[in-house]
This record gives sequence, C-alpha cells and structure tokens, in this order.
Amino acid sequence: MSIILYIRTNKQDTMNQLKPLENGYETRTRTNVIQLFRWCGVWAGTCALLTFGPKFLWNKASVFTLLAIGLNVCVGIATVMANKKYFDQLDELQRKVHLNSLAITVGVAMIAGVPYSIMDANHLLPFHADISHLMVLMSLTYAACNLYGTTRYR
Amino acid sequence: MKNRLKVLRAERDLTQAQLADALDVSRQTINAIETGKFDPSLPLAFRAARLFGLRIEEIFHDPALDNGHR
Repeated sequence: MSIILYIRTNKQDTMNQLKPLENGYETRTRTNVIQLFRWCGVWAGTCALLTFGPKFLWNKASVFTLLAIGLNVCVGIATVMANKKYFDQLDELQRKVHLNSLAITVGVAMIAGVPYSIMDANHLLPFHADISHLMVLMSLTYAACNLYGTTRYR
Repeated sequence: MKNRLKVLRAERDLTQAQLADALDVSRQTINAIETGKFDPSLPLAFRAARLFGLRIEEIFHDPALDNGHR
C-alpha cells in the first residue's frame, strides 16, 4: 500500500513538472527544419537566377550579374545562419549524429576531391571535372551517414 | 553506463514522448538512453534527476564501479 502511495506521489510530482510546452523540442525542430528548407529553396532560386539570368534575362549586363551575385551571397549567408540555428537547437544525440556525418563528409570530400582535381589537370578524365560533382558526392555522403546514424540510435 | 530510466518512467506511467517533452529532447534520445546506446550529458542527467526527484547516481551508474574499477 505504502509503495503504491509512494509511486502515486512520485507520479504526481513528475506530472506536475510535465507542464505543456508551447515550444517543445519537436515543434522547435520542425519550425527550424521548415525555415532551413525555405532558405535552401530561395538560395537554389538565386543560384538559378545567377546561372540563367545573364543569358536569358539581362543579356549579360554586368550590373545585373553583380547584383545577382550579391543577392546569392546574402541569401547564402542567411541559409548558413538558418542551418546554424537548426544545429544549435538540436538535442545532444541529434547533434552527435550530425557531427559524425559532417566529419565523414569533410573527409570524403578531401580524399575524393584532391585526386579528382589532379586527374582532371592531367586529362585522365573522359569529361570535364566540375565543382557540382563534388557537391553531389558530399550531399549523398551526408545523407547516407545521417540515415545510418538515425537508424543506429532508433 | 547503465540506467533506471525505463523503470522510473514505467512507474510514473509516462510514455517516451512525454519524458522527451519534459526533458526537452527527442523521443529517439530517450530510447537510445534507455537501451544503453547513448550516454546522456551531465546537464541532461541532472534534468532527469530533478524531474524524478532523485540523485543522479540513483538513476545512472557505471558498471565498472561494481567490478571494483575506479
């Protein structure tokens, strides 16, 4: 009887501390992900503007190209800040998963990037090396590591 | 590190999601701690101890200490 009473009291104490969180972890993370997704979308839009604008929109006028570059950099900085905010508000396990993914991604980028660049310089590649290839490799590595980390701690 | 988080949670009829909300972490983190796959930081361990009204060593303990390793 006393054990049941003790557990009940403990449960009451614990439940009293479980106040409804208006801005709990899940809500906060979801908001940050949406914000980051939006900024990434806008950044991709400015990249498209920078790539196709000079040819199709303003006939290679330098002023507009410089303005598009400025816009791209500004939106890029905002995207980095949104990413930093997302990281800062993750919990410690999620941060560990992302940190491991980043470590592997940076390593893969360096290990693959240097020989790739040397091979291109020595005309050993049947195609022209492009920075976008490295970005795709980094994105896929990061996604795969994140997926592995998430399932590992599930 | 071993812990009694699952037992304490069950005693209070809490779900992993409720405990995660109270400790301001993800449900995945609670699950990883309970299954021993992840050791919490000291601040998180303190938050858990405060929530359950216990001392940290009453929730978490190092098995190496049981074998006399210090």
